Amino acid sequence: MSALSDVWARLSSLLLRRREERELAEELRFHLAMEAESRRAAGTPAAEAERQSRIALGGVERTSEEVRDARGTRVFEDSLRDVSYAMRTLARSPGFALVVMLTLALGIGGTTAVFSAVDAVLLKPLPYQEPGRLVRLYQHGASTPGDRGVVTPVHYLAYRRQLTSFEHLAAVLTYNTTGEDLAGSGHAERIQVLPVSADYFDVLRAQPVIGRDFERSEENGAPSVILSHDLWERLYHGNAGAVGQALVMSGTPFTIVGVMPAGYVDPMVPGVAAWVPLDLRPGLDASNADNHYLDVLGRLRAGVTLSRAQAELNTVDATLAREYAGTSDMRATLYQLKEDVVGGASRSLQLMLGAVGLVLLLVCVNVATLLLVRGSARAHEFALRAALGGMRGRLVRQMLIESFVLALAGELAGLVVARLAMAAIVALGAGSVPRLDSLTMDSGVLAFSLAITGASAIVFGILPALRAARAQPIDALRAEGRALSGGQRQSRVRSGLVTAQVALAFVLLVGAGLLIVSFHRLRSLDLGVKADRALVFELHLPEARYDSTARARFYEGVATRIAQLPGVRAAGGISRLPATGSFHRWGTRALTGPVVGKPDGQVGAEQRVVSGDYFRAAGIPILEGRAFDARDDASAPRRAIVSTSAAHQLFPGVDPIGQRLRTGGFDWDVIGVVPDVGLDVEGRSAPTVYHAHAQFAGDRDWALTQVVSTSGSPTAMLPAIRSAIAMMDPELVLYRPMTMADAIGAGTAQRKLTLVVLASFAAIALILAALGLFGALSYSVKLRAREFGVRMALGAERGAIRRLVLRQGLAVTVAGVAVGVLGALALSRIMASVVFHVKPLDPGVLAGAVLFILLVGAAAAYLPAHRATAVDPRSILQ
Amino acid sequence: MTDARSELVQGTLEMLVLKTLAFEPMHGWGIAQRIERLSHDVFLVTQGSLYPALVRMKRRGWITSSWRTTENNRRARYYALTAAGQRQLEQERVSWQRVSSAVNDILRASHIPATT
Repeated sequence: MSALSDVWARLSSLLLRRREERELAEELRFHLAMEAESRRAAGTPAAEAERQSRIALGGVERTSEEVRDARGTRVFEDSLRDVSYAMRTLARSPGFALVVMLTLALGIGGTTAVFSAVDAVLLKPLPYQEPGRLVRLYQHGASTPGDRGVVTPVHYLAYRRQLTSFEHLAAVLTYNTTGEDLAGSGHAERIQVLPVSADYFDVLRAQPVIGRDFERSEENGAPSVILSHDLWERLYHGNAGAVGQALVMSGTPFTIVGVMPAGYVDPMVPGVAAWVPLDLRPGLDASNADNHYLDVLGRLRAGVTLSRAQAELNTVDATLAREYAGTSDMRATLYQLKEDVVGGASRSLQLMLGAVGLVLLLVCVNVATLLLVRGSARAHEFALRAALGGMRGRLVRQMLIESFVLALAGELAGLVVARLAMAAIVALGAGSVPRLDSLTMDSGVLAFSLAITGASAIVFGILPALRAARAQPIDALRAEGRALSGGQRQSRVRSGLVTAQVALAFVLLVGAGLLIVSFHRLRSLDLGVKADRALVFELHLPEARYDSTARARFYEGVATRIAQLPGVRAAGGISRLPATGSFHRWGTRALTGPVVGKPDGQVGAEQRVVSGDYFRAAGIPILEGRAFDARDDASAPRRAIVSTSAAHQLFPGVDPIGQRLRTGGFDWDVIGVVPDVGLDVEGRSAPTVYHAHAQFAGDRDWALTQVVSTSGSPTAMLPAIRSAIAMMDPELVLYRPMTMADAIGAGTAQRKLTLVVLASFAAIALILAALGLFGALSYSVKLRAREFGVRMALGAERGAIRRLVLRQGLAVTVAGVAVGVLGALALSRIMASVVFHVKPLDPGVLAGAVLFILLVGAAAAYLPAHRATAVDPRSILQ
Repeated sequence: MTDARSELVQGTLEMLVLKTLAFEPMHGWGIAQRIERLSHDVFLVTQGSLYPALVRMKRRGWITSSWRTTENNRRARYYALTAAGQRQLEQERVSWQRVSSAVNDILRASHIPATT
């Protein structure tokens, strides 16, 4: 009852504040009047009675304050008043408020956007049940434990049979995601199809909404297919009767057995349109314990740790190594699926988050500087308030509330900035950063954004607030025009803050510089191919219409036909483009030469199938022997071309031409040597064995990517090439045409994203630091205008004054650079993991950054220096 | 305002105000006058402590206030005791008497009683 009435009393006094204040004033007036009257009645003269009463009663203002305290509404009331006061104060200087708001918007918006990406990619769990139990299994050689290589079907089947740590263990053939042709209604279209083992959907605990998933009995290449929700909507308009019908893919009818739910995202190939059973029959590829092509993922049993599963896996591996001694000596390692999916993006994102954190810090320092300068301008106001009895605590609170109001305005604008930045990150990172498509501004991101806004308000607000609280009442009595704030201490604080800004900007500048140099080195890396004047596209031949002979004939024919087009230099095909990663890596043994039978006579070599005039089309010279030609057909002995490193390892010290090697279950004569080409964009290479498609076609159906080298613009040749192919087979899809440079450049996309983001941050940081320096110097010039005027009146030259200010600016910049170098030093370990072919403390980059920032510092100091000389001595002396 | 001494003073003031209002509703100045007079000018009631105390007591529901006209025709805020205030006064009186007689016992003591 009493508690209720208390709350009611507080609330009503809050609402009726104005009336209560009026009534309190009247009540106190009455009190004074009565007091004075009683004194008059006692014989004191009226004026004296009034005076005595006032003294006896004490300060009216003080009593009012205490009554306000007693009402218990102080906290709300004062905060409300402080907020409205803050808004009025800021509205009086809209330019200042706008600058601060935009500065904060950059910091808060940028941080929010990067955090949203980190959240979407790194923090959010995978969208499957109990995702912590999902793991990837990779194979690697006994001597290369860090490698993440794909798995042979022999090993996979053995693991699936023997490992008890797993609830399910599934295999996927991501090689084939280029998919199948759908030849419906007139125009051919290509969809991504993923062959999976029967356990695949059990591992992910995802089941079809209609129909069923695959069974073990279908792991023999059974023509069954499960559709993605999208494809089902598109082809069958959501008709449940589709299950059981046949879908013709690349000329072969597949029975639709199920449809996956809407929103199901495949962890291996996010855009996949359909799944088919993986062919795991022994005797096809499974005969080969050294043929690695499966991606393996599994779900651990409840309660089984990764390390326990790994221990069991090691035991099984030891047995397998004995069983396949001489063929395979591979080990396997387990990784968390999420860690594997996120992979290299993690480092880039952490780097971006760190960088944007520095930007936010810089923004806070910048705003703190602005507030301090403004606080100096308001020193008179603070001193006056202190003189009138304003409590210091209240002044601090008032200033902090101003900071919060500013920060919230910054947050609002920052959310707009964040939206734009998020769109930019998605656009730049799509395809190279996994899981980026789930990037949204959700409640978690918003909460983060608000939290950093609050933290920023305190960080940039605390120093100016404490400064305001130190205002001395005596200052209020001094002439307003006089500089109240030119004290040594204050100017030292300002210089310190500007130094910090320069240092932060310098660190970011060095980081961006390192990435720019890295990217440039990466792009100008000689990968051993001529990628700039070549067009690439995929051509997939449906098995139903093309047997191995027809395939061989077609691929050779199409190369010849395209090569005859005017503007084409050479044309050919390859099973995997250079610099796009490891593909078919098979164990390869020398059958002749000095290392036969020795352990180092066996190497893991990349296998490539080529057609037409591939080497010339890709710009790879023949170093020894000859290229494949019409002689190397199915009837000829099997012939191979090896790369220099394969030749050195398999046939050290001897002429590789005429030597023999064994791989993929066959023996091959070496007829030529070509240089190593990049296996990835970072220029790593691997021993490679090339086979002629005409000889290989009977063994395996590997689709070939066509490479056409042109004398003019590669894309301009596209129509001519398209019609040449249509003349041979009008139903074929010319899939994913692009320049070879773009195909290879896709591998640098993630780096490019990091680079663009970091460079933008560095640019923002530089601008902010320059503005900070400019602002601080301008202010100091304003404060010293009188001094400069006196100096000039006494005969100082304008040049000397200008130099004085420039020197002041440069001193701060140099100090900032010195601190920044220490910062760059501290961060060099982190940078070392992301830079490419450049040291994290590259002297060139450091020198460039120093020079750049000194120039910016000088530019920022120039205008204030110029202004200092513009002081008219007469106006000062008057 | 947080140390024990001022707490006591504050609590005592409230009790005395309640007592004053038990006779009849009164305005702030009148309350102060009466306390001073009844205490033979031992207590000085400043407006700085009186009005905050009145606001607090009103919040707790012990007193109500209304604007009335005084006998010499001035407008003044009169405070009146509520039923809750009456109870509070009784409670405080009992506890005060207990405390003060205990304090008096100690002050009047001439010897230390044997422990039982």
